[in-house]
Amino acid sequence: MSKLIMFHGRECPHCQVMMPLVDRLEKEEGIKIDRKEVWHNEKNADLMRSYRDIIEPKCGGQLRTPSFMNTETNDILCGELEYDKLKEWATR
Amino acid sequence: MKRYWRCHVCNDIHYGIKPPEICPTCNFKNAYVEISSAEAKKIQSGETEMDKEKFRQAIGKFAEKNEFQVNPNQEKVNMLIDGIFSCEENHWMKYCPCRLITKDFDEDLKLVCPCNFLIHETYKDKEDGECWCGLFVRRKNE
Repeated sequence: MSKLIMFHGRECPHCQVMMPLVDRLEKEEGIKIDRKEVWHNEKNADLMRSYRDIIEPKCGGQLRTPSFMNTETNDILCGELEYDKLKEWATR
Repeated sequence: MKRYWRCHVCNDIHYGIKPPEICPTCNFKNAYVEISSAEAKKIQSGETEMDKEKFRQAIGKFAEKNEFQVNPNQEKVNMLIDGIFSCEENHWMKYCPCRLITKDFDEDLKLVCPCNFLIHETYKDKEDGECWCGLFVRRKNE
């Protein structure tokens, strides 16, 4: 599993906005971001919930989608983001 | 703690810390008596249907007299309603498709659409505020 995870929802418009940016980031930086859909995949949902204590404080106290998590550093971003901010998170 | 209350005149059910002074259905004053959740469930067992179109109408009516409106972006709204109904199919409640449930029922009630987004940082004090998923957006001043 990559250390970088994107938790997303199939019917979440913010997630759909971010998908092409994640594609671009992977292509340009040669990195892998694990995309884990959480509303239709209970295993992925449980994984996101297992990080609740880390994600919630940085996402308005909720398990929001999309949430971007670096499992090594616990760096979290959530919501719709500029490409540069996402890149900084991924390459830090 | 919230409890169930029944109007002894028309059987209207209220769930809250205290009952309404006047029954909103039959207008009778001081009509409510506390009942158990089992009794409330029995009284409320009459089935009502809420398909996507009816839900769309319900949220439109809900927003009508408020400072917010349903997002004019129909494509976005369609996707969100699909997500909300998918949540209901898989998890019994119309949860927001942009936030994951915690599996703590009381906590997750905060995620049922429409949620109390007026207090969220994506809406509060923002001219172009919207609920987290974007189903509701602040009405523009005309």
